Amino acid sequence: MTSTEVTTGTRPHHPTRLSSRLGLRARVTAAFGVGAFALSGMMAGITYFTARQSFISERQTAVQRQAFVNASLVQNSLRSPGTEVNQLLESVDTLPGSRSVLHYQGQWYATSVSVGQSTIPAPERNLVLGGTPASQLFSSGGSPQVVVGVPLPAVHAAYFEVFSLDELAGTLRTLAYALAAAALVTTLAGIAVGRWASGRALRPLGGITEAAVSIAGGQLDTRVEAGDDADLQDLASAFNRMAANLQARIEREARFTSDVSHELRSPLTTLSASVGVLEAHRGELDPRAQRALTLLDGDLHRFQRMVDDLLEISRFDAGSAELSLDLVDPVELVHHSVVATSPVGDDGRRVPVAFPVAVGAGVQGLHLEVDKRRFERVMANLVANASAYAGGVSRVVIDRVPTDTTVPASAVRVAVEDDGPGVPAVDRTRVFERFYRGGWSGQRATGDGTGLGLSLVAEHVRLHGGTVWIEETPSGGARFVIELPLSPSPTAEVPA
Amino acid sequence: MSRILVVEDDERIRQSMRLALEDEGYTVDDVGSGEDAVARFAADPAELVLIDLMLPGIDGFETCRTLRKQSTVPVIMVTARSDTHDVVAGLEAGADDYVTKPFVAKELAARIRALLRRSRPSDDDSAVLTFGDVTLEPEAGVVRRAGVEVHCTRTEFRLLCELASNPGKVLSREQLLERVWGYDYFGDGRLVDVHVRRLRTKVEPDPANPQFILTVRGMGYKLAA
Repeated sequence: MTSTEVTTGTRPHHPTRLSSRLGLRARVTAAFGVGAFALSGMMAGITYFTARQSFISERQTAVQRQAFVNASLVQNSLRSPGTEVNQLLESVDTLPGSRSVLHYQGQWYATSVSVGQSTIPAPERNLVLGGTPASQLFSSGGSPQVVVGVPLPAVHAAYFEVFSLDELAGTLRTLAYALAAAALVTTLAGIAVGRWASGRALRPLGGITEAAVSIAGGQLDTRVEAGDDADLQDLASAFNRMAANLQARIEREARFTSDVSHELRSPLTTLSASVGVLEAHRGELDPRAQRALTLLDGDLHRFQRMVDDLLEISRFDAGSAELSLDLVDPVELVHHSVVATSPVGDDGRRVPVAFPVAVGAGVQGLHLEVDKRRFERVMANLVANASAYAGGVSRVVIDRVPTDTTVPASAVRVAVEDDGPGVPAVDRTRVFERFYRGGWSGQRATGDGTGLGLSLVAEHVRLHGGTVWIEETPSGGARFVIELPLSPSPTAEVPA
Repeated sequence: MSRILVVEDDERIRQSMRLALEDEGYTVDDVGSGEDAVARFAADPAELVLIDLMLPGIDGFETCRTLRKQSTVPVIMVTARSDTHDVVAGLEAGADDYVTKPFVAKELAARIRALLRRSRPSDDDSAVLTFGDVTLEPEAGVVRRAGVEVHCTRTEFRLLCELASNPGKVLSREQLLERVWGYDYFGDGRLVDVHVRRLRTKVEPDPANPQFILTVRGMGYKLAA
């Protein structure tokens, strides 16, 4: 592995700011929402204040016009002597909601008890009493009012009209609600558009995500379609280049492992055949040489298994592991697997390892589609594992899933049990890792394992679309359970 | 004593195989190349040939094909790879069986014994079997198609006899391995598959659409009744 390629990789990014914590899509959506809110809020505000201004000035003009007309009427009436002031005021024709106030000969008269001298703001009062017509907006008791004052110097009086803008305020309130609702709708629409647009913009990334997931899942030849979009072509081609480099490197490493394993086979063949000859002449050797031969023979076998296991692992790593499926009876399969993987006796026949096999109800008649060679390896590795760590297999249980025979079976379970110390819960996944040696058993293994057995079990089972896990038997031993689906969904191509 | 020809380019492996096989009681002849093997076999035929697939010059496949043209001698391929491709290619070249390096000497000896045992003329059921235009004469070890003799290896012949004596009955790969190859444990089903394919090219009018030797998917093979 060249170090330059490795060090150019970017370090993992640690998000610190909010913008990094939120996803791109959420950020785009939020930006659209905030933009729509600001814009619609501003538009609503402008509309509201413009309308308000225009309404009020219109109303003020109307009130003023009316007030001047009424003022001249009052002035005329006051010129004729004997006029009853209160009656005069009552007779003045005003707009609805309008009340008259008259200052005459130092006295204040009003058409309503709700208005009077104090109602009229002091500046307005002083201005008008000083001889200047004026109009002012003010608020009395929380309700908006407009007052128009007209001095009547000819009769030493001043005429005021106080007009309540309550009705106008109601209209403006309705308008404000309508505008706020419109702004809200616009904001929501903005968020929706943002979500849609970001989703659309990010859709090609979805394809790349799928491809990355697929590559992570072992489909190293996955590539993304570049499409016609110039912005995405760069990303797609960079992604594809990365995937191709990754695939090439993994294949190179897998090929290396495979080549090494093959090269080791020639000397191993010589060693194996020669040790076989020595074994045949064991009786001619002195006891020390016999002990040495036993050690040599034992580790030669271990070495062979290691080479085989490495080769097998390299095929999984290269993704070139192929299933060669046959339809078989599960019970027969287990029996054959145990026989086929047992040691070869002196006559060239296998001596099966003996342990009871329990067959659950409804297993008879079921057929599994499996790669027999791989299943043999699975059984051999589980049996070897039990021998190394738990004093051997106590029994094998074959069951259907579900065990309820009134329901069609979906899978077959093969459980390999032992009476050993069991596997602690924390180690039950880790034991399927490569070269994970069982410090868990509290006892050392007998030392003839390859460290790859259980990881190969997991790989073989996974290739069949099945699962493997560890449970505890009632006596505290370990139960390795393999579940194979009856209609398998193999993860590898099945050769035709 | 049976004579075995070992074709292997690695000097050390050759020597160790000679030692191991001589211990099993065979007379061993060894050569280091395919060319030498063909010449040696022509001069002095052995009863069984072990051929390494990776040979300098003409490789193991070609050596096997050349020997097959001259003889029905049992051939065991020795491969460094158990990959489907090499195994199938070796069997298609005409090998009767294969072993993968590094092999256990006892197991190789067992396979050799099984092959030699069945390569001797069988003395049981010697009745003539027929299907379609094919005639089998177990006693003479001869297959004729429309009267013309078809060259079959001894393994192919036994396989055809096994199928022909059970017309209409499905025989699983395991049953065929046991009855034809003499293996009492799970052998490699590919042995059966490739031999069936080879037989079809010899006795079927259209090997791609067999009429006689039928595949029963997931079960095995049967001869059309």
